[in-house]
Amino acid sequence: MVAVRSGSGETRRLPGVEGVWVFVAADMVFFALLFVSFMLGRQEATAVFEASRQTLDVNFGGINTLILLTSSWCVVLAVEAVKRNALDQVPRLIAGAFLLGVAFMVSKALEYGGKIKAGISMLSNDFYMYYFTLTGIHLLHVFAGNILLIVLWNKARARQFSADRCVVLECGATYWHMVDLLWIVLFPLLYLLR
Amino acid sequence: MSTSTPKTDYSTWKLLAWTGPVFFIGFFVMWGLLADNFPPMAASTTAQDMWQHYKDLQTEIMVGMSVCMVLGSCYMTFGAAVSRVMRRIEGPEGMLANVEMMGATITYCPIVVACGIWLTCALQIDRLSPDMVQTMYYLAWMIIDLAYMVTSWQIIAAAVVFLRDKREKKLVPAWVSWWGFVTVASFFPVSLIPFFKTGPFAFHGMFNFWIAFPTWYVWIVSMSIFIIKAVSRIEIEDGAAQPKEVPVRGGAPLATR
Repeated sequence: MVAVRSGSGETRRLPGVEGVWVFVAADMVFFALLFVSFMLGRQEATAVFEASRQTLDVNFGGINTLILLTSSWCVVLAVEAVKRNALDQVPRLIAGAFLLGVAFMVSKALEYGGKIKAGISMLSNDFYMYYFTLTGIHLLHVFAGNILLIVLWNKARARQFSADRCVVLECGATYWHMVDLLWIVLFPLLYLLR
Repeated sequence: MSTSTPKTDYSTWKLLAWTGPVFFIGFFVMWGLLADNFPPMAASTTAQDMWQHYKDLQTEIMVGMSVCMVLGSCYMTFGAAVSRVMRRIEGPEGMLANVEMMGATITYCPIVVACGIWLTCALQIDRLSPDMVQTMYYLAWMIIDLAYMVTSWQIIAAAVVFLRDKREKKLVPAWVSWWGFVTVASFFPVSLIPFFKTGPFAFHGMFNFWIAFPTWYVWIVSMSIFIIKAVSRIEIEDGAAQPKEVPVRGGAPLATR
């Protein structure tokens, strides 16, 4: 944990441990490089990218954004509940975040299923290559996050968190917010960018 | 009958730890520079151009790959040194030290097989058709890249154990362990290489070659450095060596680890 003194004199603390921030920073750099690669590919074949983008269902993208934002919100509430020592609420909030994570995976499976039924795969063209790979790698992150949420849920039920013992929960929350943030960039990049 | 515990052989342990740098320096020079794999020939190269590449660089590839087949074994010996340091943290009954050593050992297998295939391509270039050269070239890349999960288990095991180190100053810093998790995360998209010959997910592309490989390389280099230091620190902890003294101007010498 790193504590820093802000200008107003109050001590601010980096949530979780430094290592999880190393992971988050590196992971986001990887995604940033892929986003740049997508934009370069788009410049080379704007018409193909635009025509393919129009085949995506914006409703799926929008619903998925709402799902992940709500899930992230549940995790924020869980961390706050731990800090208020309202420990009864924590397992419920983490379970809510987990169920929403599962809902995201189901929604993604339906969306992929529709594309595959329509004869579209990641080999169809460069846009779909980025669409399937970027959202697929992101989905792997969601899957890993859901496993993490199960671990956190178990710890919360066993009352292993408290106001002065919540580093593990903060690490998990940091990761889950990163997953959310990546989707917030992915959604406009793939579904909305004209 | 005497039941005295055998003494720890720190010299051999240090020697094995130093095989880490031998691996990463040797591989960079012989595979990367001499055999012209930095960057590698693109997956989209035509069969005829691949054949010509092997013809033009026949000697360099043969020397580079045969040395790499020998040097690759240093990854196994380096893994043995890491495993012994891990055992000091998780105790004699710990399983993750075994997983790390097995992971390092089995990682050598795809390395030696892939280098053997590239070597044979160069050796037999006058008897092979361009299509055969292309097939063998792809084959080696698929083998060396898609075996990443074995290396992932090695890295995860090491990261988990070194994060559990209760020492005030850990034997391997936490950032190296977290970088291990970054490395494992960067490996998964490598599964896409069979599907693309161009773009970021081809085996010569941005993700596989310029992200996953360098990320692993940084892990090997940093882990090697800290394992070499860790063995010396353990030797001091065991009382088998004295801390080095650093002279301080106008004061008493400071002991360092």
